[in-house]
Amino acid sequence: MSAPAIPNLLSLRGGLGRAGGGRGRRGGGPPSASASASATAQHDATIQGTDDDAAISRLSAVEIGYLGDPFARLFVPGPVVRRLPIINRGTYTRTTAIDLLVDRFLAQTAGTTADDAGQEPTRQIVSLGAGTDTRALRLFSELSSSSSSSTTPIPKHRNIAYHEIDFPAICTRKLQTVRASLQLRSILSDPVPAAPASPPTSTSTTSPSTQEDGSSSPNPNPYPYSPSSSWHSRAAYPTSNNQLWCHALDLRALAHSSSTPTSPSKITLPGLSPTLPTLLISECCLCYLSPADARAVLAYFSSHISPPETPLGLVLYEPVRPDDAFGRMMVSNLAARRIRMPTLDVYRSPQDQERRLLGDFAHARQMTVDAIWDAEGWVPEEEKERVERLEGGLDELEEWKLLAGHYIVAWGWRGVGVDLDMGV
Amino acid sequence: MSDLDKAIAQLRACRPIPEAQVRELCHKARELLVEEGNVVTVTAPVTICGDIHGQFHDLMELFRVGGDVPDTNYLFMGDFVDRGFYSLESFLLLLCLKVRYPDRMTLIRGNHESRQITTVYGFYDECLRKYGSANVWRYCCDVFDYLALGAIVLGASNTLSPGSGPSASGPTMTETRVDADETEIEVCNADGQVISTFRRQEQTSGRMRGGGGRSPARPTASNGIGSATDSSGANNGLTGAAPNKSGPPGSGASGSSGGSIGNPAGAVLCVHGGLSPLIDMVDKIRLLDRKQEVPHEGAMCDLLWSDPDEIDGWGLSPRGAGFLFGADIVKVFNHRNDLSLIARAHQLVMEGFKEMFDASIVTVWSAPNYCYRCGNVAALLELSEDDSGLGIFSRSNGDVGRSDGGQGGQQQQQQHQHGGQGGGGQGGGGGPQRGVLMENDLMAPRSGPARRYRVFQAAPQDSRGMPAKKPVADYFL
Repeated sequence: MSAPAIPNLLSLRGGLGRAGGGRGRRGGGPPSASASASATAQHDATIQGTDDDAAISRLSAVEIGYLGDPFARLFVPGPVVRRLPIINRGTYTRTTAIDLLVDRFLAQTAGTTADDAGQEPTRQIVSLGAGTDTRALRLFSELSSSSSSSTTPIPKHRNIAYHEIDFPAICTRKLQTVRASLQLRSILSDPVPAAPASPPTSTSTTSPSTQEDGSSSPNPNPYPYSPSSSWHSRAAYPTSNNQLWCHALDLRALAHSSSTPTSPSKITLPGLSPTLPTLLISECCLCYLSPADARAVLAYFSSHISPPETPLGLVLYEPVRPDDAFGRMMVSNLAARRIRMPTLDVYRSPQDQERRLLGDFAHARQMTVDAIWDAEGWVPEEEKERVERLEGGLDELEEWKLLAGHYIVAWGWRGVGVDLDMGV
Repeated sequence: MSDLDKAIAQLRACRPIPEAQVRELCHKARELLVEEGNVVTVTAPVTICGDIHGQFHDLMELFRVGGDVPDTNYLFMGDFVDRGFYSLESFLLLLCLKVRYPDRMTLIRGNHESRQITTVYGFYDECLRKYGSANVWRYCCDVFDYLALGAIVLGASNTLSPGSGPSASGPTMTETRVDADETEIEVCNADGQVISTFRRQEQTSGRMRGGGGRSPARPTASNGIGSATDSSGANNGLTGAAPNKSGPPGSGASGSSGGSIGNPAGAVLCVHGGLSPLIDMVDKIRLLDRKQEVPHEGAMCDLLWSDPDEIDGWGLSPRGAGFLFGADIVKVFNHRNDLSLIARAHQLVMEGFKEMFDASIVTVWSAPNYCYRCGNVAALLELSEDDSGLGIFSRSNGDVGRSDGGQGGQQQQQQHQHGGQGGGGQGGGGGPQRGVLMENDLMAPRSGPARRYRVFQAAPQDSRGMPAKKPVADYFL
């Protein structure tokens, strides 16, 4: 009953595999410097592309009604692409989970003063590789529940300095979007360059061009930091004292700066206070760095934010479990899209992630995305029912468990006055 | 070459056929399907397949591994469309084969063969993309409404036919052929090489274990087999006195199975999802009005949506349609309907198949690397023909399907004549004798048919002669 007439497609696999190996050899041997540089540039472009992927997924979830986000449309140039329910639920769950952690942090650092205009921010959020993320915009435009009874809208959140860090190209693009959008101009004041606002606390910030100009710095920082492309803006509600800072900076520059603390190339981010309660967010960002760079970025903030009682938190969203059948396929599929996640090799299990955070933080927790969906205290029952009805139920349950079980939200915190336990 | 054969050749090359031809094909298919009952009778040998989900290249691999049509008699348990990029080509090819070889191809309906689901999960968009209008999608949906809801396999042997894979002459096969009579489960790879076998047990011990099988102390009885890799080492954990090659717990060959004495196999019910609290007899499925869109609730919905689960009785399904049902439900249903096994699909299984509840129900999954993302292997289930002439016994639901031309009826007659000695002294063959046994051993599950699982992997997408759209699997980035 065999079917000898049907070719065995798998027998072709050897050849395909070799071809793939040839492509993949880039990273293997000692490549020439230029080949290495172009490979790095290629990878950087690919990683920036993952942000577009995330923006499209966010817009899909918004259009179908999973998430409320009036700004999602602004960051997707093309038509709305409808993602499958499983992806929409993933977008919904991780966004909701991170929102909850951010809300918890903001609630615990709100302080008591609410009415002095002109006051400086009292807490800060640093979004690593923020890309086109709209979280700052959503926070700034959220109104207090008591607004309805008042003639003037009352912002829900106040005194936040929201710092976004991303490649210069992405910061510039975001600046153009903000300038071009009436909707955003009603949220944010006219963006201004960030650099002048930066007190010159460090001797210099180094960019590759100044290095080539003959600077004698012992530790040239090869990664782009472009203070001139950085900008900031105040939230439009005058009483909110919320600020948005967009730092045009390759995170590897921070890592480099961190690993050589005494060097004059030490980077200081304008507007970032070392003494305020700070929450770091890495939504699929640090995983694209080398493990050493990822560690150094965390070390930068860990050492920069002081004294140790100053609240510092981190919310991390990343893939895990590269070792089972699904995880192996995930790594291989992403590799086919030229996406590499070097830290996945080091932090393979949810427990690895927890241990990782305990290096810089006193407390650490983690939950996979499917566990967050299932657990009490994250998505309320009635909200789950609403979400489930949006697309007629989620048929692909087994697949959801697999996919969502391979993504994790991990968070850690230290300092006085902040507790992100969340009942986990 | 007839137009139909031309269409088959074109679809085999993964090229869609013109809209007018689709319309004609769907019309013919409906004429054929309207004659089928809600529960189609199929006689062994048969190769049972689970979800396909538009993974055309993997469907070709399935035919390579399982044999081509019409050489192999196929039963597909639904979910032909959605998720994969070639739902259209996959479904139309299967439909062409159904029209061309109606007696060698059985298609039953899955929950994705529905207007509502296909608009969410891809088939509608695919039709729109490939034809520029929704006409073809409409033709296909009209066919969906006529697909049978289930199938009954009769005449499955309790011994395996000799291996028939492409490499059947290999040394491994020779070795296993020696005790083919005692083999209850055989797992082969895509090249027909036996990965593992599980023996039936001796009659006496099997009978005793049948009793033991009802005791609640079976913590691992439902783990299921399905992993070719864990099978060899997993035996004997709970079954100290079990024969040497007994299977792991949960397989029919395990110490807890209770089957295994080699009596002619009962019938096998094939359905996409599972059971319904509204259906206690297979005959009740026959009474449903199936020619409609899959409803949101009710018996027809349940058959296409439900899942077995580690619960007692019935439970709410997290899918929002259908129910969860436990081992007790399956055992009562199988006993009441003289079934030895329920074969179903619907749930992704990483190992391709999974037997549960003392091998009273099996999930078969035939979409390898599902959605180009899940990393799973696929399986198909082969049931051999019982050529002793003793395999079919009189049964209340053993109607004669159109596909066997009345042969089933003859076999039933023959079975009646042999009734008493039916089991060859092994018990449980003929009606009367079986009745006596059942008094002593009221709920012992019937010994299942011998089962050969062929496990296969995903085909590479960009093979010669087939259009290749590099699948991009979505992740949460």
